[in-house]
Amino acid sequence: MNYAIELEDITKRFPGVLANDHVNLSVKKGAVHALVGENGAGKSTLMNIIYGLYLPDSGSIRINGKKVVFHSPRDAIANGLGMVHQHFMLVPSYTVAENLVLGREPRKNGLFDRAKAEETTRKLSEQYHLEVDPKSVVHNLSVGTQQRVEILKALHFGADTIILDEPTAVLTPQEIDDLFNTIRVLVKDRKTVIFITHKLYEVKSISNQVTVLRKGKVIDTLPTKEVTENDLARMMVGEKMEPIPAKSTIQVGEKILEIKNLVVGDSMGSRAVRNVLLEVREGEIVTLAGVEGNGQTELVEAITGLHPIDSGKVYLRGKDITGKTPDEIRRQGLAHVPGDRISVGSNRSSSVAENLIARRHRQEPFSKKGWTNLQIVNKFAEDLVDRFNIKTSSINALASTLSGGNLQKVVVAREFTFQAPLLVVSQPTRGLDIASTRYIRDVLIEMRDNGHAIILVSTDLDEVFSVSDRILVMYQGEVVGEFTPEKTTREELGLYMIGARRQSKVESIA
Amino acid sequence: MEFIEFLTELTTYRAVLRIMTPLLLAALGGAFTYHAGILNIALEGQMLFGAFAAVTASYYFGNAIAGVIGGILAGLLIGLIFGLFVVRFKTDEFIVGIAINILAVGATTFAMRALFGVKASFSDPGIKPLIKIPIPGIPSDSFLGILIGNHTLLTYISLLLVPLLFILFYYTRFGMHLRATGEHPEALETAGGNTSLIQWIASAINGVMCGLAGTYLALGYLSQFVKNMTAGRGFIALAALLFGAGNPFKIFIGTFVFGLADSLSIRFQSLGVPPYFALMVPYIVTIIALIFVSARQKKRYTM
Amino acid sequence: MNWFNTNLRDILVGRMNRFGQIISAIILAIIIGALIIYINGDDPLVAYQALIISSLGSSAAIASTLSKSTPLILTGLCATIAFRSGVINIGGEGQLYMGAIAGAIVGVYITGLPAIIHLPLALIVGALAGFIWAAPFEWFKVKYGTDELVTTTLANYIAILFTTYLVTNPLLKPGAPLGMTRNILPSAYLPKLVSHGQLNVGFLIAVSLCVILWFVFFRTTLGYELRMVGSNPRFSRYIGISVGFRQILAMGLSGALAGLGGAIVVLGIQHRFIQNLSPGWGFDGILIALLAGLNPLGVLPMGLLFGILKSGGLGMEAATNVPSELSEVLQSIIIFFVAAEIGVTMFFRWRNNQKVQVEESLKMGTLDEGVFVPSDQSSFSDGEE
Repeated sequence: MNYAIELEDITKRFPGVLANDHVNLSVKKGAVHALVGENGAGKSTLMNIIYGLYLPDSGSIRINGKKVVFHSPRDAIANGLGMVHQHFMLVPSYTVAENLVLGREPRKNGLFDRAKAEETTRKLSEQYHLEVDPKSVVHNLSVGTQQRVEILKALHFGADTIILDEPTAVLTPQEIDDLFNTIRVLVKDRKTVIFITHKLYEVKSISNQVTVLRKGKVIDTLPTKEVTENDLARMMVGEKMEPIPAKSTIQVGEKILEIKNLVVGDSMGSRAVRNVLLEVREGEIVTLAGVEGNGQTELVEAITGLHPIDSGKVYLRGKDITGKTPDEIRRQGLAHVPGDRISVGSNRSSSVAENLIARRHRQEPFSKKGWTNLQIVNKFAEDLVDRFNIKTSSINALASTLSGGNLQKVVVAREFTFQAPLLVVSQPTRGLDIASTRYIRDVLIEMRDNGHAIILVSTDLDEVFSVSDRILVMYQGEVVGEFTPEKTTREELGLYMIGARRQSKVESIA
Repeated sequence: MEFIEFLTELTTYRAVLRIMTPLLLAALGGAFTYHAGILNIALEGQMLFGAFAAVTASYYFGNAIAGVIGGILAGLLIGLIFGLFVVRFKTDEFIVGIAINILAVGATTFAMRALFGVKASFSDPGIKPLIKIPIPGIPSDSFLGILIGNHTLLTYISLLLVPLLFILFYYTRFGMHLRATGEHPEALETAGGNTSLIQWIASAINGVMCGLAGTYLALGYLSQFVKNMTAGRGFIALAALLFGAGNPFKIFIGTFVFGLADSLSIRFQSLGVPPYFALMVPYIVTIIALIFVSARQKKRYTM
Repeated sequence: MNWFNTNLRDILVGRMNRFGQIISAIILAIIIGALIIYINGDDPLVAYQALIISSLGSSAAIASTLSKSTPLILTGLCATIAFRSGVINIGGEGQLYMGAIAGAIVGVYITGLPAIIHLPLALIVGALAGFIWAAPFEWFKVKYGTDELVTTTLANYIAILFTTYLVTNPLLKPGAPLGMTRNILPSAYLPKLVSHGQLNVGFLIAVSLCVILWFVFFRTTLGYELRMVGSNPRFSRYIGISVGFRQILAMGLSGALAGLGGAIVVLGIQHRFIQNLSPGWGFDGILIALLAGLNPLGVLPMGLLFGILKSGGLGMEAATNVPSELSEVLQSIIIFFVAAEIGVTMFFRWRNNQKVQVEESLKMGTLDEGVFVPSDQSSFSDGEE
């Protein structure tokens, strides 16, 4: 059997974490080989080792039977490997053609031969049925198109094996289909594809081999047709997953948040939010679903005072908070778990305690006449760490030492204990391991049961379905559909999310 | 009235071109590291090292060419030191920049005292200045001749570099790699490029050009070295660099405006305005220009 | 040990590390300095001996050193406050000049006041002048995004030229050999601490400010907010802290400290404003702040270190042939080594922070910055339908 890649006993350690633990993996030539595992299982690290971005602490790599040592991506590329990363390796201000040839730009008379680059791009694009416009500038392109450029780049460098790292994360269902078609074309052209994902249905759709990683170790490698999604899930998590308890139905109460005709511009001058109307009541979770980049972020930032509003109104408990500062809005009764927990939701260079008392730092009893009362601050922090089960070496440890899940718990602990009537929560479980994800969703439902009004932004359809009372789909800045989880399906939501369908303006379905 | 006269005289612009030269050279040098993603605030210190080396070399070897070479070598050396700390040791470029600026004043003054025995300035007929070169084919008293004839070689070089570097930055492979290094180094790395090497090269070129700028300061006017003679010009060059966002043509405009202000201040002095007052003009103009430019940029983004 | 609010062991270990790094940097600098002295044709041992004796060898020497350290401690605090709050103030030199001239003006021209009012007034006006020469530049940064690094640097030159103009023209003392003001009135003198020499109460003011500012930064709400703004402005805005206002305030306070330093020099040492007052104290302050790890308490020993170098440098020059500028050379070398040893330094927390934050957010896919933001978890798996 011809193997494109063989990994023998690969081990890689980072400070505090054993990312890859004696990994043995063989990828057959011409296969579509899926690599699954939950966040933190070591998939990306392993691929980065193959691509030459990291050196393994021990173990060896063979490409087409030949033993190799990669010191940098250059070596990997020279050996026929190509990789499409989760965050793209494209220079935003360059055109598609310029990005494609980056590293081996064609030259004419010493100057960059733009015409040649564009021609090369066109040819490749036709050959692999990946439509791109060579002249367009990358930062204007949709994510799906950028991904196409990345794939073309890898092919341009003569890759025989293409590694795709979580490629479907930001794609619409339609774009995912296009990607799968591309993969089929690649395989027909005798390329090998390695596909990293944690979406199990994708594994079943496109791969013929699958390897499961858990906590840095390989659990097993099997032909895809011999496993079910449940088998994979069990292998990924290692224990029987309890079914998610059903939500209790509760009565909704007063209107807490009301948004009328909201128009918000984005940083580039176009309209990110167009004429949105919505309301959220006590005791319900209203979820804004949709592909990232359709205005959800701007909407949330507009509500929380972090982004200017062009026109329209936002009312919180009847009071007009349009355009007010974050401080004033929070005082009216809003708490916010932001989508970016690292740059916005917390301060990594401050301690856990300092992160927890943020915003309360001015109030008594934490502060008296400007002086901080350390004893009370520490007691409060310890209390929250206990209640929310935050794993940290001490309350004075820096926030940067926390894992993603625990950092999010800090944010949630701080925000949810403000007892604010309205909670604005954005992508709360993104990048978290399964245990933390479950925990946060349980807390979210608990807050709702206690009568809070919650507006949630999520791109995770699992989360959307398990947690929402009402679902609003956003597409290009507008609310194009309103649903309840019982009365809709993923496919239906998917159609709305890509703009293939829209409802006429309908008032809330209670 | 005087002011209008001033603006319409050819000699004014001739003076501006001369004053601009060190600013332009330093700012264009800074553009290399700027595009490579490093903000080098040590243009000032690098210029000063260049100035001192130029004077010393010119004095010891008895000719201006030696001075130029001395300035280039000193600039190269200090540029590489900057590269060493910023690229290799990954020290914060801002700290290294400040340290170089302070070191420059201390080291050049120390060396001036140690080598020449003088405390505040060193001037001597043994220091050979840069010679002015007429442009063949353009008579010295024609319009063009007055404006751009009979300047030193460095002035001509600085002017030629504007279009040349524009082509280099935006139309050559090196330029594309350079800008990619600054904008998205991982993209270049994963495509097989070497961003560290590019940053080293940028630091070295930056150093050389600042060395040339300092050489011009020392040997282009009065052939002397004065303690701390750059007097903030490196920061004016930095302002021009930021103002032009690394685009050589825009940098040219920036240094032109500042050069005009500097020239104006000299004019003011001859009109009886107290010298210290007049000398403040270029710095004030620079600050105001920076404020205006940023105010306009901000407006563009919030529209 | 609740009072320290951190694991005491961790602090000590951290401090030892940094202490060790600084010591080794100093040793390296001394060695390089010795080489330079030797190349210059002098005996390094003699030179260093002269340095030590003239800075620490007698009570008079020590008093002189402490006096020279005073403006350095204040400019060090100036830079510390600024950088901690995320504000880049390179204008300490100019702010010091403005504070000095303001203090001189109050000292010379405001007559008829008893010392108990005159002196504090002069000091306060000096601090105020420094505040005014700093805060507006941050205002422009907040409002228009005008980079304050360049503007505050240029402002130094304006301040120096302006004050030089003042003391060579309108304020010029008649018959003076160079630009200087008249003598300040005795009611504005800072009392001396020793009978001979220049050591004055200003030194005590500087030392107590080190302690006071430490408390402010680490034990008050204002300090907490400034630190948050300095290390993560986006977080601060999200939490509801008014970032721009705090930054402008921090810049102003920073300038006030430098201005106070200038006023103290005028009122306590020279008793008038002499042209070219400062040999670069403002810039030294920046290096001192960096070596002190941006900690007000750390500014004290570092300021003293620089004071020793400066004081000793002069003595060394007097006794040997070695120019006093060697001190500046040694200072820069120390900074180079300290900064490089710590690698990506902890000095500029907020700059370092921003870099790392962006990296980590990008890795996680949570950075809300434009187009390519892939989400890490969006599972379509295990459908419930």
